[in-house]
Amino acid sequence: MGLLDVQGVGIAFGGLKAVQDFRLDLPKGALQGLIGPNGAGKTTLFNLLTGVYPPDTGTVKLGDRVLNGLKPHQIAQAGLARTFQNIRLFGDLTVLDNVKIACWSRGWTTTLDALLRTPRFRAEENAITTRSMELLQIFELDKRADESARFLPYGGQRRLEMARALALDPKVLLLDEPAAGMNPQEKVALRNLIRDVRDRFGLTVLLIEHDMGLVMEICERITVLDHGVVIASGTPIEIQKNPAVIEAYLGASPVADASPGAH
Amino acid sequence: MTKLLQASMDGVAVGSLYALIALGYTMVYGILKFINFAHSDVFMLGAWFSFAICGFLGYTTADHPVYAALVALIGSMAMCGALGFTIERLAYRPLRGAPRINVLITAIGVSLLLENVGQLNSNKFLAEYGIKFPFGTRPTSVPLLLPDQPLLSFALDSAHPNTLVNVLPVDVLVIGVAFTLMALLQYLVFGTSLGRAMRAVSYDAKTASLMGIDVDRVVSITFVIGSALAAAAGFLYGQKLQSLRQSADGLWVLLGLKAFVAAVVGGVGNVRGAMAGGLMIGLVEQFGAAYLSTNLRDLYVFSLLIVVLLFKPEGLLGKAVVEKV
Repeated sequence: MGLLDVQGVGIAFGGLKAVQDFRLDLPKGALQGLIGPNGAGKTTLFNLLTGVYPPDTGTVKLGDRVLNGLKPHQIAQAGLARTFQNIRLFGDLTVLDNVKIACWSRGWTTTLDALLRTPRFRAEENAITTRSMELLQIFELDKRADESARFLPYGGQRRLEMARALALDPKVLLLDEPAAGMNPQEKVALRNLIRDVRDRFGLTVLLIEHDMGLVMEICERITVLDHGVVIASGTPIEIQKNPAVIEAYLGASPVADASPGAH
Repeated sequence: MTKLLQASMDGVAVGSLYALIALGYTMVYGILKFINFAHSDVFMLGAWFSFAICGFLGYTTADHPVYAALVALIGSMAMCGALGFTIERLAYRPLRGAPRINVLITAIGVSLLLENVGQLNSNKFLAEYGIKFPFGTRPTSVPLLLPDQPLLSFALDSAHPNTLVNVLPVDVLVIGVAFTLMALLQYLVFGTSLGRAMRAVSYDAKTASLMGIDVDRVVSITFVIGSALAAAAGFLYGQKLQSLRQSADGLWVLLGLKAFVAAVVGGVGNVRGAMAGGLMIGLVEQFGAAYLSTNLRDLYVFSLLIVVLLFKPEGLLGKAVVEKV
């Protein structure tokens, strides 16, 4: 059994079955892709996994722990961290504070400790700052730590989202279109960064991405969603040859760089 | 000159109290995006609690220990903190995610409930323990817990040696406590991990929860802190205007509403704005009272509100939100 075990998860909004009977068994250290045309239910699935929507059916297990019924913050603390398709940083806060936020949940100091500036509070605050700066260094954001997050360039904001998710010290990282809007150079750097981060932190990664070049190159396995249903699952080569997948993308070659969602 | 100095001092004293109350409005608005109309009543009950504590412990103007003011202050802050926690837990939390208008109407309901509790006349059971209801039909005043001799008394104008500027211990207490609490809050919000979490929840609660922040806990803490600050203001106001004998609806709740004006003037949702707005309202009110007419003091405050809303509707330190079309 894998680290992230998803069994028969589904949700309907009114009459629309957004995701049906989704199954996924992600072993530790895997780098799995999740693709599909626009509106296929990929982001909805992320929302189901992270507790934004409670699933109507099925179970989500992280290791031995069942995540169903937990609140989003409890799931995040349990080790499931994510980034967002539309960047959702805390724009008013500094780059450093954005990362420190995610470290907070593991803190033991109380408000009283903070007001009295007890040694425990100061030690913890220092530890959080050091760790956050290390993360920012990996993502090459340490020089801009004191700026407001919204002043970062686009690629920097995407990287900061990943740094913030990693500050939760997750077991599984869910990346929602990390390459969206990036230029080719940034995409190459991102590709290396994702691999590097996975190896360095011993992560398991589930990646939603529309950039087929990126997905085919870095993912070991790929799952394809269409209309909320898994239509294929396999290695990149298998997926590229799968007739159902080609049909879902209306004949557009999945390797092509053009937007696969165009109908 | 004497008048100027006296008015400035009173303005800063009263203004810092408005600021303390305004912080509660602004913090809750910042996080939950609704105006907690019950806040002015929490302030009123803060004064009430400090009165009840004095009654229970037998403190009177004539007979009380040196530390009495501290006991009443901290006691009423703790009681109001618990009250704020309870209000949020019972009245607002079940409506999390409901349309904002529902929460607003609930807030008005809670406000009316508390206001009427404040107007109760007496209760035999409580009276046995020396606890009276001070803001009922026959309002009484809070016992003065500080010496009433001026600490400093001087004449500025040699032509009028009898017109003195008086610095009373109560002014020192009011300004000292209010500014200490504001400094602590400033540090809490901008210098600690709890404050970071509060700012994150205020910016985007949903994302904050996905980053492992327990939003409900942050909201509870916000209510406790805001209510405790209002209680401090209630107690200090009772001490500052000790001769005041006013019913709950006649004066106390109105004072709380003026603090709401302070929050709006400073930019609702902005902690520093609430402090600045409070001081500004206090100064405008006291200067108006000193130089124009005492009877129109409410008029100055609400006129200032209209002017600010006309020319800078987002408040002095608030951020204008441009609606995208």
